[in-house]
Amino acid sequence: MANLKDIRTRIQSVGSTMQITNAMKMVSAAKLKKAQDAIEKMRPYAEKLTELLAGLSANLDAELGGDYAAQREVEKVLLVPITSNRGLCGALNTNIIKQTIRLVENDYQNKEVEILTIGKKAHDQLSKKYKVVANHSNIFDDLTYENVAQVAQKIMDEFVEKKYDKVVLIYNSFKNAATQIVKTEQFLPIKPEASGSNVVLDYLYEPSQAEIVLELIPKSLKTQFYKAIRDAWASEHGARMTSMHKATDNAKEMKADLTLQYNKARQAVITGEILEIVSGAEALKG
Amino acid sequence: MKVDIVTPEGALFSGEVDSIVVPGVNGSFEMLNNHAPIIAVLQKGDVRLKGQGILIDNELKDKFEIKQGEVILPINSGTVEMKNNNVIILAE
Repeated sequence: MANLKDIRTRIQSVGSTMQITNAMKMVSAAKLKKAQDAIEKMRPYAEKLTELLAGLSANLDAELGGDYAAQREVEKVLLVPITSNRGLCGALNTNIIKQTIRLVENDYQNKEVEILTIGKKAHDQLSKKYKVVANHSNIFDDLTYENVAQVAQKIMDEFVEKKYDKVVLIYNSFKNAATQIVKTEQFLPIKPEASGSNVVLDYLYEPSQAEIVLELIPKSLKTQFYKAIRDAWASEHGARMTSMHKATDNAKEMKADLTLQYNKARQAVITGEILEIVSGAEALKG
Repeated sequence: MKVDIVTPEGALFSGEVDSIVVPGVNGSFEMLNNHAPIIAVLQKGDVRLKGQGILIDNELKDKFEIKQGEVILPINSGTVEMKNNNVIILAE
């Protein structure tokens, strides 16, 4: 049986770990709430934009989308994995990195693949093995639409310049605090949408309908990019909250086990002492 | 007429106004009640709201400017849609 002092030290250290994980859980819960609010706030804008775009392109027969819809023979691919900057959030980042590696090794095996990472974890893992052209981890320090739009614009420009033929986003989509789903989404070229809606209202257009569509497409792309990053952000906090909750539970269990062990050992020592006293007294009597 | 101004980071304004001036790419124009349905692209400039008792959220006050009974919101770009006396501005 381990000695009393050792067990006491371990109980203490498990206790302080528990405090830390519990505090981290609280912090993540608060941040998760904020992140979810931000997704919620973005929704009206995104929905209206999609509605406008769908209505406009449904009324136009010609192939639209301009430079962003150009379908080229896929030779050069840009992968954009979005992970967190910090760890302690379960398998969240590993899933993204695994999926990225799978895409590089299998799906785009014979293509020229470049990677643009968002999040320090992806950069740390992938830059050792693959060609990482840029890293925009600092986007999470100040997560505004403007900052995200700048990165998106740069990627869109490079696509138009034919530097890449296809751009793919890999991110965690937020379902709930316990579940995040790895999503692989084609960012560029734009997939031609099946035009179903026929809301023909007699609008005035300024400038022409086609020009408005061309104006709206980059906006909708940037919104899509922003949404992916927002989703990843919420996923990170959700995953961290869950994993810290589990860690706290485990620490509690461990502490209970150790306390039991400690009490048993203490009891054994007391029993031993009583035995000694009693047998000493017996010996004196005799 | 009812005006909603939304951005990717949240709604900025929602309420009744008498008239609204927006910076269209071909020049600013004003819309009054019962304006014909229109979709227009906006450029960098000011959106001006006119009307009685326009209320703005306290948290968002620093984004707006209030001058001579007008509420002014500078935008970088955007799109406006008007139909059935509902104006929606997607601003950036």
